[in-house]
Amino acid sequence: MPGSVVFGLAFGALVVEAGLPAWLAPYASSTVTAGASQIAIVEALRQNAPMLIAVATALVINARLALYSASLAPVFAAFPRRWKLILAYLMTDQSAAVSVLEAPRWPDPVRRRWFILGVSGPFVAVWIAGTAAGAALGPVIPEEWQIGFIVPLMFIAVMVPALRDWPAIAAAGIATAVVLLLKDLPFGLNVLCGALLGIAIAAFVPERKGTSAADIDPDTSPEVPS
Amino acid sequence: MMTAFWVFTLAAIGTYLIRLSGIAILGDGRELSPRVRKALTLVAPAAMAAIIANALLLDAGQWREFGAWHVAAAVAVGVALWKRSMGWTLVAGAGAFAVLLLLGF
Repeated sequence: MPGSVVFGLAFGALVVEAGLPAWLAPYASSTVTAGASQIAIVEALRQNAPMLIAVATALVINARLALYSASLAPVFAAFPRRWKLILAYLMTDQSAAVSVLEAPRWPDPVRRRWFILGVSGPFVAVWIAGTAAGAALGPVIPEEWQIGFIVPLMFIAVMVPALRDWPAIAAAGIATAVVLLLKDLPFGLNVLCGALLGIAIAAFVPERKGTSAADIDPDTSPEVPS
Repeated sequence: MMTAFWVFTLAAIGTYLIRLSGIAILGDGRELSPRVRKALTLVAPAAMAAIIANALLLDAGQWREFGAWHVAAAVAVGVALWKRSMGWTLVAGAGAFAVLLLLGF
């Protein structure tokens, strides 16, 4: 939850720093409601990316939510449609994980949906409020503070602790290399290409030694604690 | 400005449909194929690494001059690998960055 506040403040400040109107920050947070993609959109707009590329970049980043949605399908199965529609809107990285883990403790569908609303709602509310506060504070932050550093720092804080298996490490490494190799592409297209190639190539990296052993050289294949 | 408004609006609609996808399609016992599942688990590390590389090592498409950004990010990565904690990583990275700026790095 504190992470959600800090991230919200940072996003609000970034929107203002990028020269966009302050109201767009809470608007984005209450409609897109997915911080990483919102920051990517601001970065794309800063590089004058065409609308299509900015939207596509955001949707690639948010494709991970499809995984949560799939995991939550059995959890939500007994809920009425309007509850599914509302709880889908409130789905975030944090609340999806908690909902899937805790759902078995709430077998009654009525109690379960109130429980999920209780864990999801505050995250989104804090995120929107933090963003609005950040947009209000943005103009008073001195330029020398270089607030832009929050973008790589925030993503390092989210991504690096979660890098635990070889496919994920490969995806991150390939994406980084592609972004740097294609740095001369216009409109932030290097980010979109980096993300897509990272996913596509790392999908062929086996999860652990021996899962598809035939084509791995035993001397170079990594030792993976499973 | 209107471009930004439409980009956020279209991204919002698309993102909501992604959030709804599994709940709507997989409700009756069907499951994601392992291949699709694996590709989706790779979205977060690939997308985030792409953003980190673009924001940290490049500046408006050119190499960023070596300085406080690189050093503070290296501190953050080190702490992230050591503590495996988002909070500690943020504190260490922001702290290192502030100290470096104060030192005129």
